[in-house]
Amino acid sequence: MRVTFQEELDQLEASLQEEGALVLRVLRGALNALAQRDVELADEVIAFDDDVDRLYLQIEEGIQSLLARQTPVAMDLRLVLAMLHTNLHLERMADYSVTIAKLTKLVADVEPDPVLLQSLEDMGERAEEMIRVALDSLANRDLQAAESLVDLDELIDRSNRRFVERVVEIVADPGIREWVLRMVLVSRTLERIGDHAVDIGEQVAYLLTAEFREFTDASHPERA
Amino acid sequence: MTEEEDVHQTVTMPPMRPVEVAERQEAEPQARDTVFDIQGLTARYGTNVAVRDVNLEIYRNLITAVIGPSGCGKSTFIRCINRMNDDVPSFRLDGRILYHGADLYGDGVDPVEVRRRIGMVFQKPNPFPKTIYDNVAWAPRVLGLKKELDDRVEKALRSAALWDEVKDRLKRSALSLSGGQQQRLCIARAIAIEPEVLLLDEPASALDPIATSSIEELMHDLKRDYTLVIVTHNMQQAARVADRTAFFSLEVDDSGRAGVLVEYDETSKLFTAPSEKRTEDYVTGRFG
Repeated sequence: MRVTFQEELDQLEASLQEEGALVLRVLRGALNALAQRDVELADEVIAFDDDVDRLYLQIEEGIQSLLARQTPVAMDLRLVLAMLHTNLHLERMADYSVTIAKLTKLVADVEPDPVLLQSLEDMGERAEEMIRVALDSLANRDLQAAESLVDLDELIDRSNRRFVERVVEIVADPGIREWVLRMVLVSRTLERIGDHAVDIGEQVAYLLTAEFREFTDASHPERA
Repeated sequence: MTEEEDVHQTVTMPPMRPVEVAERQEAEPQARDTVFDIQGLTARYGTNVAVRDVNLEIYRNLITAVIGPSGCGKSTFIRCINRMNDDVPSFRLDGRILYHGADLYGDGVDPVEVRRRIGMVFQKPNPFPKTIYDNVAWAPRVLGLKKELDDRVEKALRSAALWDEVKDRLKRSALSLSGGQQQRLCIARAIAIEPEVLLLDEPASALDPIATSSIEELMHDLKRDYTLVIVTHNMQQAARVADRTAFFSLEVDDSGRAGVLVEYDETSKLFTAPSEKRTEDYVTGRFG
């Protein structure tokens, strides 16, 4: 039994879950800043991203060192590779949250459209739920939970489409046009966070089944 | 030659001249050309079962690694492949080892002929206390292959990636060489009579990392012309050099302890997604 090696693997996985918890906090901050037009909170979110980046780098270096020294194989190797990808996906999610915060700042003085705002809040909550499911499926080695992310993603996608329909209705109003255009990006960003959560689910499936498999393929939707 | 005669010839395995390496290169190797078909192999020393009921095929121009914990019968297994256990009085073998369809242990098969076609390199370099040249020339001389002996020696030393290091001191004692060089000399000695198969029993375990990597590089080059089977304790070495890997383990039951073949697959499969829990535990270092 390679005790040190196992401890290092456990430590890396714990750091990854910690990073996931940070990402959830950053995203929640961004969503609150958006809903409350809170510029100060938006700035905090932007600054907080540095913490995520630090942890991201630390995990990246940990994996590099582990690969160089311990030559993991079999399930250990798959876990290391899955963590490498998941680390990147989480870091991207935090960056998207920063994007939301920056867009929030740009239109903080415009009165928002309540229907669209509620729609973004709903999407945000779905994205949070997906991140939690993705992280738990990794922690619990739960293939079924990982695969359920596809259905959750469909809900976000649907909200995104409805959002765009509403945008088409009101975009002619010059008083709100800039806000609406910015919010289209926020909506898109939340939808992307959902996609990254699905990608983490795919890594969990790889870890557990040793098969590289895309849950959904945008260019071949019939294979899903 | 009719098809019937052809089959007959492979089954009885008549004494024949060593197949020239150049000749073998001409024939494009099949995708999966079976060299050894091992069926239900059980090897015993007295009442001790060293390996039990091993079934596997070894393919041409591939490097096949045999890994597993100490005492799992790895060495016994490859020694069976060229009848090195014949002289052990208590040794008994059941099952069959077919070499190109011919039973290696069949009636009338000459073990010397077997070893001519299936060469072996051991853990510790064991050059004869003779000159470098004579070490390589020894087997060809014994077999009467005296024509163009100098060329044969040079070719073997080149194939073993040793020529450039020894060409100016061929008349010096082989014992003056470093451990890594001695091991490559042993490989040159084995291939001087152009066998078809090279068995390597822990060929690098007594060598430093640099000499080890030169042996591994050499194995990559040699598999163009030879079929290689390597027993190794070093799992990373198997992962680095072998195309296919067989994992042996020890099984303990009422009748005692015996080595068994647990899993045999493409090396990359075995080291990324093994099918058997026992393999997973061994390659990840959780057992053994």
